Amino acid sequence: MNFDHGSLRAREARAGKVLGAPAGFVLMILLVLILLGGGVALFVLKTPFFWLCLSGIVIVLMILYYTRKELVPVPAINDGEALNINNLLSNDMLAALPKNPTVRDLAAAVAKTNSGRFMHVRYGISPQMLAAIAEQLTVDVGPIFQTAIKIQQGTDSEEIHGAMVGVAIIANHPDNEMILKKMRLEMVDLLDGIIWFNYLNGLVKSIGKRRHTGGIGRDLSFGYIPTLEKYGQNISEQLPAKRTHIHLASHKEILSQMVEIFGSAGRQNVALIGPEGSGRTTIVQAFSELLMDADNDLPRGLKYRQIFKLDAASLISSSPERGDVEGLIMRVLGEAYAARNIIIWLENAQLFFEDGTGSIDITNLLLPILEAGKLRMILTMDRQRFLEISARKPSLANALNKIMVRPANQQETMKVMQDQAPLIEYQHKCSFTIWALKDAYRLSEKYVHDVEQPGRAITLLEAAANYADVRTRLVTAESVQEAVEKTAGVKVFSAGGASADDKSRLLNLEALLHERMVDQEEAVKTVSDALRRAAAGVRNEGKPIGTFLFLGPTGVGKTELAKALSEVYFGGEKHVIRLDMNEFVTAEDVSRLIADGAEDEMSLTAQVMKQPFAVVLLDEIEKAHPQVLTTLLQMLDEGILRDVRGREISFRDTIVIATSNAGAEMIRGMVGGANGGFMVGADGAATRKDFTTLKDNILNELMKSGVFKPEFINRFDEICLFKPLSPEDCLKVLDLLVVSVNKTLAPQKIAVSVDDDAKRLLVERGYDPQLGARPMKRIVTKTVENLVAKIMLSGQAESGATIRITREMIEGELGR
Amino acid sequence: MFAFDLAKWWYAKGWHVFFADFKTKLRDTTDTFSIGELVRTLFKPYKQIGTESKAGEPGLNIFLDKLISRIVGMASRLVLIVTGLVVILVEAILGIVITVIWPLVPLLPIAGIALTVIGVKLW
Repeated sequence: MNFDHGSLRAREARAGKVLGAPAGFVLMILLVLILLGGGVALFVLKTPFFWLCLSGIVIVLMILYYTRKELVPVPAINDGEALNINNLLSNDMLAALPKNPTVRDLAAAVAKTNSGRFMHVRYGISPQMLAAIAEQLTVDVGPIFQTAIKIQQGTDSEEIHGAMVGVAIIANHPDNEMILKKMRLEMVDLLDGIIWFNYLNGLVKSIGKRRHTGGIGRDLSFGYIPTLEKYGQNISEQLPAKRTHIHLASHKEILSQMVEIFGSAGRQNVALIGPEGSGRTTIVQAFSELLMDADNDLPRGLKYRQIFKLDAASLISSSPERGDVEGLIMRVLGEAYAARNIIIWLENAQLFFEDGTGSIDITNLLLPILEAGKLRMILTMDRQRFLEISARKPSLANALNKIMVRPANQQETMKVMQDQAPLIEYQHKCSFTIWALKDAYRLSEKYVHDVEQPGRAITLLEAAANYADVRTRLVTAESVQEAVEKTAGVKVFSAGGASADDKSRLLNLEALLHERMVDQEEAVKTVSDALRRAAAGVRNEGKPIGTFLFLGPTGVGKTELAKALSEVYFGGEKHVIRLDMNEFVTAEDVSRLIADGAEDEMSLTAQVMKQPFAVVLLDEIEKAHPQVLTTLLQMLDEGILRDVRGREISFRDTIVIATSNAGAEMIRGMVGGANGGFMVGADGAATRKDFTTLKDNILNELMKSGVFKPEFINRFDEICLFKPLSPEDCLKVLDLLVVSVNKTLAPQKIAVSVDDDAKRLLVERGYDPQLGARPMKRIVTKTVENLVAKIMLSGQAESGATIRITREMIEGELGR
Repeated sequence: MFAFDLAKWWYAKGWHVFFADFKTKLRDTTDTFSIGELVRTLFKPYKQIGTESKAGEPGLNIFLDKLISRIVGMASRLVLIVTGLVVILVEAILGIVITVIWPLVPLLPIAGIALTVIGVKLW
């Protein structure tokens, strides 16, 4: 299969490249004007050369017409003949190819085409990359063209444009899978890109095409609607320059149903019921376009019908009294009925069926109209509100022709994003890469609530456009992540993995946690391992990052570990969502746990909705009512909790930590010994086997005694046992407390040091095996902090000084 | 070669393209003046005036209201229909003339050169 440089299409493409360029067009127009001027002058001068000018004008006009109608672009010949590359190559490819092209020439030609540039910007297939691949290929152009033809057939394309040739070059590379993997792409993504380009190309071509919308006399036989025009919004008159494209098969089906319902003699109403963001508005817009286009095959009674949107809030605000609103609505509906070409659209229709701020219950007024079916109406509302209204007003629900609008799946959402991208790009002067679209879907599933797909992903895509790379105006996966981080206040790890900083932090997590924690090696390691697994993507995405049950006596560091985790992993203690479960001791408290954020901003679901990237700390979990624990099972298992409004709140980016003192006595009894501490091995440390056995024994005891049910215990990824602190541990706690005092004093450039024998005295006086580290904090406040305060106030310590605390000073504070 | 390609296109595909454009233009004009819609609704009341039934109003008044509305409607529609038909007629004549002289257009430059050589003056 060879390229024929001298074929008619190739010749025409090269001619079109010159004549179809703006400069060529301007030149021809200038020539016509000059010849016209010359012709007039020669005509006046009565010379026969006038005929020459006339001939010249005719020639130029013929060339102009030929250029416009044939050369730009040269159409593909796809009429069922044997497939031939010379008939199928696109205009710009034909013009860019030299005689006897090599694969390198093909790669270079691709870079000069619009589709080649499209693949470069959106898929990262640069001219350099294509040239390098072409350099490595051992095949000639024949197999490349054959692959391109297969791609053209597979993507149902009219012609073979540069992008297809580029993809064919990659496909012919023996290591194409590896090349694409490095770019986080698959061959199917590139084919999808070709379809995306075809779609955008089709849009550009359709811009010049005229719509047949009825003309100037269309509405002469329809009635006056002054009130409706004042309070309603004519959707049909706001047809966008770009047609509304319906990509979802289910939505196309809905449009057919609407045509059938409004085209038949039955009740003339349609209730589109579906969640926000699922495309209800798009369907209504597409329906209005369908009706306004004479080229569509529609029942005659539906042609040129106009859709008017009614807004409850504006109707209410324009009338001071309830009776006035009802009167106004009657006038509006009366006009719509009399006009005979109106379809009324009640957006958020629930606002017309309930009393409240911005809503009014006019069921008694609308029901007879809906039941009679004379006035055409479209109602859109979400499913939950429809169910509520149905329960209250079954006759209303029965009067409606209900059509359910379901949310889009991933593939459909990608198509809708590809459709919407040009509009957002135009508004923000940017370009979306395919990775931005993919991440917009992935991250919107996690972080965008209240709306459904495809609305979720579109919302995020629009936000990401504000974070386009300043230099290239490209919206990348990083732009989408930044948009999520800025708008949702969360930390997002890219699909490509954690950043270098994050990696280093995760690898040194134990050391970082021990900057605040003393001992509890087992718990620290267990938690650190879980977080590393999460960051590396080796975890179940359908669950929280980690779920831990911390068991141990009071004052041993359970809460401190949760706070340390929040600081190290999420960047601050403000990312701790803490609930004291002793406030949830009755079954009725479940509703408080999952309350709507508008009513209780401190409910668990409301807090996680606001801050989905956090440590959820459930303190003293054993005190919660069993019904509360049952409610939490879904959160631990699937990373989701439904709030009172039925919304799914994601806990999949939280670390859930439940702490409990239950079994503290058992732990003390089991781990307590002559050394006042832990079971120790030969090397003086507790062995892992001992620890596991101990943990099993304690859990068995807790389950036997009914403190926790087995199904609750089993939902946790790990159960961490916190051992009581020994006096040696308390010495380390003391060091951390002194570090903390020094941090507080740092702005005043004053430091504190505590002598070793003073520390030992503090531990002797402060250590209480029942209360762990808590008394140590109190004794440091009572001694060290008091001493420092006195010294500073007495002027004995100046900036840069170090205050030394001795045993005698402590004795002086505490008494001998 | 370019001249040959142009001439070949002109007498084959170009002629079809022009004719298709001509048909599209006529259809666009018909749509602009809403000819089909106006003919279909020629006797309908103007802007639905007089079609509302008013309680207590004498039947003759209602009938007269409707009649006047229909007459006004018909008149306004006829004005538009006639205007549209005139425009369509002009376009059609122009289109037919060009379609007929289409094959002669490439010969015009040759004729022009011949007339120059011969030295023909218009006046």
